[in-house]
Amino acid sequence: MSAYRPRHEASKARDGDERRSHRLPGRLDTDAEQVQRDLMRLVLTVIELVRQLMERQALRRVESGDLSDDKVEELGLALMRLEEAMTELQERFDIDARDLNLDLGPLGPLLPPQ
Amino acid sequence: MTETGIYVYAVSRDLPPAAMEGVEGVGGAPVHLIEGRGLTAVVSPVSLGEFGEAALKRNLEDLGWLERTARAHHAVVDAAAAHAVTVPLGLATVYRSEDRARQSLGDRHEEFDQALSRITGRTEWGVKAYADLAATGGERGAQDRGDQEETSGARPGTSYLRRRSEQRQTEEEARHEVLVAADRIDDELCDLAATRRLHRPQDPQLSGERGWMILNAAYLVDDERADDFREAVVRLAGERPEIRLQLTGPWAPYSFATEEEAWTEV
Amino acid sequence: MDRSVSVPTPRPPTPARGQRIALVDLLDRLLAGGVVITGDVTISIADVDLVRISLRAIIASIRPEMDRVLEEGDDVRDEPIQGVVVREDPRP
Repeated sequence: MSAYRPRHEASKARDGDERRSHRLPGRLDTDAEQVQRDLMRLVLTVIELVRQLMERQALRRVESGDLSDDKVEELGLALMRLEEAMTELQERFDIDARDLNLDLGPLGPLLPPQ
Repeated sequence: MTETGIYVYAVSRDLPPAAMEGVEGVGGAPVHLIEGRGLTAVVSPVSLGEFGEAALKRNLEDLGWLERTARAHHAVVDAAAAHAVTVPLGLATVYRSEDRARQSLGDRHEEFDQALSRITGRTEWGVKAYADLAATGGERGAQDRGDQEETSGARPGTSYLRRRSEQRQTEEEARHEVLVAADRIDDELCDLAATRRLHRPQDPQLSGERGWMILNAAYLVDDERADDFREAVVRLAGERPEIRLQLTGPWAPYSFATEEEAWTEV
Repeated sequence: MDRSVSVPTPRPPTPARGQRIALVDLLDRLLAGGVVITGDVTISIADVDLVRISLRAIIASIRPEMDRVLEEGDDVRDEPIQGVVVREDPRP
């Protein structure tokens, strides 16, 4: 995409404006089962991030045209399996794809809005 | 015995003292007025144990304290703005003494005069926009194209990549489109406003909103145009199903208290 | 009225009052830059704090590294790339 800079980003760039940060009690703290579920959500978010990065990079390589057809196929199959695995994990832990995001304050959300 | 300081809420012109009688500020202390060079500062005494530099730093990070203080602050600003043209100050402007506060009022009197001119006869309105990308038809389109691809006999991994590439492109286009739409909304509303300030996107944990925030703006609108402005927001909200607008206000003109790098002309 | 917009009832420009105002909107105006909730998460079981995960700590430091990893000619888009740092809670 072009060097378009949306207004919602523009206001982030003002110098000298520090955001106040607050520690909300962000605790994963009940019983062992709930903790496991919350932990999985955290872990799956990170895995999803890595998956998206890998996919993006793979698509770039494919588009660059320097991979053989067999390599492209191999890459595609691997990514497809990865996506299937992710879907299965989400289902198993009853986690909606939209839950897999983290707000990092001034850095915005971890994953791009979908 | 902790020291006290003077907390300043706002600066008004021609504020009748009676208007602020019985009004309480942060910590429940009574509000009073300080006059200087035709301006009136609305103030109250506060403990420096709570509002001194170190204490303030700590307290500002306590969301409970912040909420209580912000609402108390706003109640005072509100009360003043109901009776006179008022420049609201940001949270926690504290001076060590009444004399220092009066001094500052004098020193900054030109700045306040400019602000008062800027806001007279005008009101602040907030407009926030959220995008819901699932509402766009983009995803479905890519799916259909993908199905076609499979029947043509292409290898599965390769088809998958092609599908994903198209989907990403569609998603990227949808995102771009929505941002362009947000800018158009802002442009239209700027036409109806005297000036406009942009705020940062809000933290979803604070706002409770799950959507993607694409605009967070404050518009200073001539009072005679308030109805036109409101109508424009309603109209713009109905134009695209994937964009949701929220109008807040009327606000005392917090966002226009200072001179800032202009996005639009005053 | 359209469901996609929430509009306050029209009234003469007297300032809005009290609890009807969302804290987040107020803070946008009262604090330069607004407010952010840190992304720290503390994991504990039965009230025993065990681990604190601070995602932002590593973000700033990792980002320039990741930019270098991208091949020449790649456009560096503004997508966040992060890792996770896990620290044992120092408190007893």
